[in-house]
Amino acid sequence: MAKKIGFLLAGMFFGFALSRSGASDYNFIYYMFTGENLKLALLMGTAIVVGAIGMIALKALGNKDITGKEIVISKKPLNTYTVIGGILFGIGWAVSGACPGTVLAQIGEGKILGLLTFAGLLFGTYVYALMAENNPKL
Amino acid sequence: MKFLLVDLWPWWLGGIAIGLLVPLMYYFFNTALGVSTGYGNFLKIILPSTKLKWLNSETYKNKFNWRFVFIIGMILGGFLSARVSGMPITTSEMGLFTERLDYSNIFYIIWFFVGGALLGFGARLANGCTSGHSIHGLATLQKSSLVATVFFILAGVITTFLIRLILFGGN
Repeated sequence: MAKKIGFLLAGMFFGFALSRSGASDYNFIYYMFTGENLKLALLMGTAIVVGAIGMIALKALGNKDITGKEIVISKKPLNTYTVIGGILFGIGWAVSGACPGTVLAQIGEGKILGLLTFAGLLFGTYVYALMAENNPKL
Repeated sequence: MKFLLVDLWPWWLGGIAIGLLVPLMYYFFNTALGVSTGYGNFLKIILPSTKLKWLNSETYKNKFNWRFVFIIGMILGGFLSARVSGMPITTSEMGLFTERLDYSNIFYIIWFFVGGALLGFGARLANGCTSGHSIHGLATLQKSSLVATVFFILAGVITTFLIRLILFGGN
């Protein structure tokens, strides 16, 4: 239960930070992709550097989580699907002006069209589940 | 307080806050920061008796696991942000898109649904989204995440160029 509350708080922190930074704002995404306002690109770059420094710090401290267990980094596979999926995802990012995380902040902010993006995300995930049924590579 | 609650955060503050989540998620929960996998939880909630193998994999054994709670938290976080900064409770607007275009509602409904579908399908194919790949994956120096992020951005730039050219009349 304590862990569940921890995840809820972490999610709230993430949603709040995305919204307060303008990441859930259609215009910031649009102007990042046109190159006219790189605020969100700078934000992402900063997040990557801060995250990487944090991971180095964790490693230096013995690579243990709070319960003393070894931290296991989740490894993501690299294959053709990374490219195809990456392209489709990028088109979806520009079309909806959101990503799977920021659309949640949009919904919390009361943006009705964010609910359509959310419904689409469920549908796209379902199509993947259907395709994975007969394709062992997925 | 106005700086944190009403004004938009500067890029560095948002970057530090979000970046810290990567080590914090590993330290407290021994798990990777990521959102898109959690959409499977919602599918499982909508379709509890589905026979699809993928939705019955280990990942979705408990549909109300941390991914579900994390997503609910993110919605609440957006809600809180809107309250402290004084946004309206609901809005049918979506920035420039609804400002520049004057189409019927059905067009917007289809447009954003299709956008979401591409995000959902693409994220599963690529094994992650902006948070799982571009933030967590790059912070942990994964080649796969670099490839995914390059294509996310490339496709985003080209698509936005086409949206501007075709829908917005080049403005």
